[in-house]
Amino acid sequence: MAARTLRSVFTLRSVAAASSAGSLLCKVSNNVQPLKQNSFIYNKFVTGIWSSRKSFHHSSSRPTSESAMAPVGLPPADLVEQYIKQSKVIIFSKSFCPFCNQVKALFNKLGVKFTALELDELENGDAIQEALFARTGLKTVPNTFINGTHVGGCDDTLNRHEAGQLLPLLHVKTHDYEYDLVVIGGGSGGLAASKEAAALGAKVAVLDFVQPTPLGTQWGLGGTCVNVGCIPKKLMHQAALLAHGLQDSRAYGWQTPESIEHSWGTLVEGVQNHIGSLNWGYRVQLRDKNVEYVNAYTTFVDPHTLRTVDRRGKERTITSDKILVAVGGRPRYPDLPGARELCITSDDLFSLSHPPGKTLLVGASYIALECAGFLAALGFDVTVMVRSIFLRGFDQQMAEKVADYMERQGVKFIRGAVPTLFEQVEEGTPGLVRVTATSDEQGTFSDEYNTVVLAIGRDPCTKDMGLNNAGVTLAKSGKIIVNDEEQSSAPNVYAIGDVIEAGLELTPVAIQAGRLLARRLYGGATKKMDYQNVATTVFTPLEYGCCGLSEEDAITKYGAEDVEIYHNGFWPLEFTVAHRPESDCYAKLICVKSQNELVVGFHIVGPNAGEITQGFAIALQLGATKQNFDDLVGIHPTCAEVFTTMTVTKRSGKDASASGC
Amino acid sequence: MAQKFEVSGLDEYKEKLESLSSSGKTIIAMFSGGKDPATGQSWCPDCVVAQPVVDKAVSQASEDFIYVYCSVGGRDFWKDKNCVFRTDPSLKLKSVPTLIKVGTPQRLEEAQCANPKLVEMLFED
Repeated sequence: MAARTLRSVFTLRSVAAASSAGSLLCKVSNNVQPLKQNSFIYNKFVTGIWSSRKSFHHSSSRPTSESAMAPVGLPPADLVEQYIKQSKVIIFSKSFCPFCNQVKALFNKLGVKFTALELDELENGDAIQEALFARTGLKTVPNTFINGTHVGGCDDTLNRHEAGQLLPLLHVKTHDYEYDLVVIGGGSGGLAASKEAAALGAKVAVLDFVQPTPLGTQWGLGGTCVNVGCIPKKLMHQAALLAHGLQDSRAYGWQTPESIEHSWGTLVEGVQNHIGSLNWGYRVQLRDKNVEYVNAYTTFVDPHTLRTVDRRGKERTITSDKILVAVGGRPRYPDLPGARELCITSDDLFSLSHPPGKTLLVGASYIALECAGFLAALGFDVTVMVRSIFLRGFDQQMAEKVADYMERQGVKFIRGAVPTLFEQVEEGTPGLVRVTATSDEQGTFSDEYNTVVLAIGRDPCTKDMGLNNAGVTLAKSGKIIVNDEEQSSAPNVYAIGDVIEAGLELTPVAIQAGRLLARRLYGGATKKMDYQNVATTVFTPLEYGCCGLSEEDAITKYGAEDVEIYHNGFWPLEFTVAHRPESDCYAKLICVKSQNELVVGFHIVGPNAGEITQGFAIALQLGATKQNFDDLVGIHPTCAEVFTTMTVTKRSGKDASASGC
Repeated sequence: MAQKFEVSGLDEYKEKLESLSSSGKTIIAMFSGGKDPATGQSWCPDCVVAQPVVDKAVSQASEDFIYVYCSVGGRDFWKDKNCVFRTDPSLKLKSVPTLIKVGTPQRLEEAQCANPKLVEMLFED
């Protein structure tokens, strides 16, 4: 920061032309410091390509603390030594040199902060180059050093990376623990963080253990998403879409027989085989990247010491400099008679050995609705018991639209009711369970179901981990409280994914947070996870995709007067010939009037909403306004084009129902 | 040390698996480009590189494993998009060498078969 006090020339230049093709380098020249009269050293700091615009402005607005600051007036040889000493990664470079750009692009791609000293822009550049030649025997640029170790030129650097020997140089061990990083939890977040940290040269282990469900279901490496979440859910959603496609096919001329049987066993086998190959793939990746995988249950002894117990009861004590908790969560069981013995959860459903039969889903979470949706489409008799609202936390108008569609597709909803008792009527696969429930409307009532799926929420797996031994503070929810760098109250203990308080329970969020954390811990990076404008999709038969704020949250944040909502029903072209209803699909944009109609909420219920929302999410991330959406030319005929032609505001009260082409 | 067998072609491979089905042991199969009788070497360079790595892992594997080496035949036979090894639903091979743990989704392909860490992992548990 000393540079800040200098009356320095401050230049900011775009180097798109000078940088290698395709990389979005932003290069900042600053800290210009007189070396001798009329000469300057440009200390250039090049931020990673994954830097957001925000951090670009950030880094350009003040000198970076990483800049190499050589004392004035040193002989070139001593200057070179100073630079090598002061920068974790330094590339002696020339601004026009394509080989230098290749090396810079590599470090950018890897998310590793580096200093590039452009010799062609220095008055004493030739002298420095001579000094480098004397020191390294290398006369040309680039000339790369990592932590004082001479790596060499372009080919040397690239080849060394190819051989996996470049990034390990970054990491200098400063402790006596067995590992640099131990990750507890082999889910999406934990795996991503562990692989990234190992690639950056850290010695890493992943400890993963799946406690079997009350029914005895277990699974392999990969966590919730791969085994009992996103992956099997989306595959079963696809099975449901095919059912709809079969119905539609007749209108399109296919002589599809009226009665087509579905084999639950075939579906489960296909899904589980795919999961099995993913489990294996993760083990291969860990092994390949030198991350040790330990299949054992872990508890904290102290902030640096863990005790693990494997399946055979064998204990082991492991010490680590840093520990990342990424243990995720598991479905919650209500404290009701028969719940654990007679009911299943999403942990069991995707590998259920028999067709579920007549099924009750308890809860109105996205998990409940997604499972209800695909089960109904597969032909099962499906009921959902809803305590209060659908999809808590999501836009409620959209949630109601999703539920209405499901109701029209044959899913039965019991609203305002909670179960009180589960009793076995018959054993078997499936058996029969009598569910007693109460509601204000119906009082106490009961019905019988072959399968009862509990989807009332998820709890973090922090209970028996001894986190208090490490001094990790938990929230009331049992989740780990972390700062904006995913650091817990114990400075060497970090947490990511579903287990953190006030986070987002989404796989890609955990992956991103894990990668960024590893890069900060071992790659010298500074970029933090941005939890804003994360898009997501509920994979009910008619998908619901959203990004940004719900209508409710937008009104709370900006006030009803300042929120303008554009909305439109739409009738997908593929629905027309198939005679599907005109009023199922709906889109809305939530804008802030006082901010030039900045779009702060994006919502769509319709086919392929996930695919649509993913693409548009970048518009919200980039701060798109309603005008930007209006200026966009649609692709015809698509569902997504509805967002380019929205004119009806909710405030106007005008009809927003679907219109023809 | 694991018991070793060598077969050639899909029919021989299936027969061998059939005959081993009652052994209760874990079968690891290696699919490799056929060997040139003159040189004793496979036409597939990746297979040549992988073979000693696999052989070493086999020699260190416990008796709970059986190793079956299967030649997929000559280059032209294998390169045919409709080669039986590529189309067989239980194999669906995409490349040689491929190492599989029979009856599981565990498989290693191409350069993975020459990585001792990964090959050893296939012979674990």
